[in-house]
Amino acid sequence: MIDWSVFGAWISAAMVVWIYSFAYRDNVFYKLAEHMFVGAAAGYSIALALDSLNRVMIKPAVTTPNTFWPNSWHYVIPAILGVLMFAKYSRRYYWLARYAVAVNIAVGTGLAMRTVPIANIVRQVTATIVPLWGSDPVAVLNNWLLVLITIGGLTYFLFTVFPKRAEGARPSPLYYVYRALYYIGIYGMMVGFGALFANTIMTRVGFLISIYLIYLQPQYWATIVAAILAAVAILLSLRKK
Amino acid sequence: MSGSISLGKILESRELLYTLLLISVILPIIHPLGIPIAVSARTKAVYDYIEKNLKPGCHVYFEIYYEVAARGELEPNVVALTKHLFDKGCKIVYGSLASYGVVVFNLLKSTAADIFQGKEYGKDYVFLGYVAGGESAAASLAKSIKGTVSTDNYGNRLEDLPLMREVDKATDFDLVIIASSGTDTFAYYVRQWYTPYNVPLLFAALSIIAPSIEPYVGAKQAVGMLVGQRAGAEYEVLVGRLGLGMASMDAQSTSHMLVLAFIVIGNVVYWSRRLSSKKGGGK
Amino acid sequence: MSLVVRKYIPQLIVSVIIVLSIAFYYLYINDSVAKGLTTADKALSDWAVIVTSFALIVGGVDILRYHLTKIRREGLRQAPFSAVTISLLAIMVILALIGWYWSYANPKAGITITTQPQFTWLYSNIYAPADSAMYSILVFYIASASYRAFRVRNPPALLLLVTAVIVMLGNTTIGGLIWPGFLGLRDWIMTVPNTAAFRPITIGAGLGTIILGLRLLTWREISWMGRRD
Repeated sequence: MIDWSVFGAWISAAMVVWIYSFAYRDNVFYKLAEHMFVGAAAGYSIALALDSLNRVMIKPAVTTPNTFWPNSWHYVIPAILGVLMFAKYSRRYYWLARYAVAVNIAVGTGLAMRTVPIANIVRQVTATIVPLWGSDPVAVLNNWLLVLITIGGLTYFLFTVFPKRAEGARPSPLYYVYRALYYIGIYGMMVGFGALFANTIMTRVGFLISIYLIYLQPQYWATIVAAILAAVAILLSLRKK
Repeated sequence: MSGSISLGKILESRELLYTLLLISVILPIIHPLGIPIAVSARTKAVYDYIEKNLKPGCHVYFEIYYEVAARGELEPNVVALTKHLFDKGCKIVYGSLASYGVVVFNLLKSTAADIFQGKEYGKDYVFLGYVAGGESAAASLAKSIKGTVSTDNYGNRLEDLPLMREVDKATDFDLVIIASSGTDTFAYYVRQWYTPYNVPLLFAALSIIAPSIEPYVGAKQAVGMLVGQRAGAEYEVLVGRLGLGMASMDAQSTSHMLVLAFIVIGNVVYWSRRLSSKKGGGK
Repeated sequence: MSLVVRKYIPQLIVSVIIVLSIAFYYLYINDSVAKGLTTADKALSDWAVIVTSFALIVGGVDILRYHLTKIRREGLRQAPFSAVTISLLAIMVILALIGWYWSYANPKAGITITTQPQFTWLYSNIYAPADSAMYSILVFYIASASYRAFRVRNPPALLLLVTAVIVMLGNTTIGGLIWPGFLGLRDWIMTVPNTAAFRPITIGAGLGTIILGLRLLTWREISWMGRRD
């Protein structure tokens, strides 16, 4: 009799090793692991969609029809629209799917539009309005940096029309101000991207460490066997070439 | 100069780079270095916020929005926060706007079973399961949880769960914690929970997305942020339960040093080649 | 008539729902009207939840069609792999349906669509490790790129490198051994210059969202409709 938990642990270790083997070379075991992953992911998505529909609509309609149908009868409309999404496979009636997509797009956009002005714009701008003088020199320096880099970044992204500079004439003070803010924005963003790069390494290495601890270290024999199989497949494919 | 160029030629083999990286990760896990960790001010600030502001019996909504791959970075934060909240006597409603949240929560419960010991499901904590719809679902949950989902992840009716009789909408919660591997989730909660209802938010984010959600924390739209595996390890030290976070820090150190070495050597080799070709070319 | 139902009515639906969504949020006449608007707003959100669920099912069907087409076109070379994908997809859906049946037939057993035991086994032992590996394989390419591509050619690149080094050392415990100040310096970089650097990006993203919404509202954005008429 198969011990399914041990078998599952071996499959997990093999899946990880075969997918990692792609970093060295594409091989038949990587293709197998990739296709298994895609199938499982698609099946899982469908299962979760069914679960969501069941909880929001089907179960209440079946188990508590007296409260569901008077108050929530209109849920039938998005259900019909959802079914109409399958019309996208038809050459003649593909446009029926647009009704469901329209609802989705519109609700998402509407939800974002009504709160984005406050959350993304007003609050960010008000957070940039900070005192530029005071008794604490460190806080004052931080505030100046905050304001200058924010305005510099906005100059770089949004205020992209440089003041004109006439041929032979000295540039206006506004031109110098623009240039200064533009370069402050660039350098400020370099700091941001440097921090982003460092954090990217932290995240990706963190993933690698957790995979090793969770899947590979507990099943080291499975790891070794899977690695040998992948190595043989890579060597054979190199020989073929 | 020629030595660095020869080293450069050796390191050009990417298979060697990958193998060195794997060794730098695996070796410190097998033979830990035991490098001590200092707690940063930001992690301490989050700990202090929960200590000062949450009283026994308070309600916390916990959004689990990270895939299994991100467990290494976020699970230490989630486990440590859960332990802290349970130690404070808080009641937690877990939910997930992501399909994978269900499996992640079950894995969380199995790996940190000791934290849930003594806690009764339905009374001390509830898991709503996956709620499809993204920002729409977040908006809907903020208005009414029972109006959005009728049962929890295990098929129990919400009306039958004692905890769910105490809470239903955003304003019923004292804190909302979002543990997410995606930038959008934080934006959903800022827009649909904080902006309309002023519910305090706490972020637990991957290191890679922390820079892009820093503005929300800076604008006081969140009370604090735990960033990645390092913050998870620090919080484990603070709550007194060492786990995956601390176990990973030595490997993080050695792999980071290796990447730094790659960057430095790469630039030394590049500039050596450039300077030697200029010397040879320019007369 | 045909252009009306194919193009104009969907665009009208988008415009009407966006306007309604914004109105439900900002409009206040009196308490009873506000309550009605809140209920309507929630209903709109629930509609999107239901439609999204169907969209996920359509996505799964798309994968099925793609692989069936691939088997037909590429024959024996691709067939074993596509067969693996299709089989796993079918097995997981069947197991989910079995779980669904048991959730009604025997609710006390506690089996639901996502907690059906074999279904969970397949997810935990095939999808979860593969997903983790797919995400983490990037670390190899980052390490390789650090050596091959990260070149300091000008002052901004040098500033990027210096910041990256400081934050990397602040992120690790070994940085604290080298100099304890790296942790504080990292925190300062994240809270001051980094916040300031990403603030314009956040503002820009907000402006972009508003612009996209206005384009949808005024029927200028039609890419969501797919095939052009």
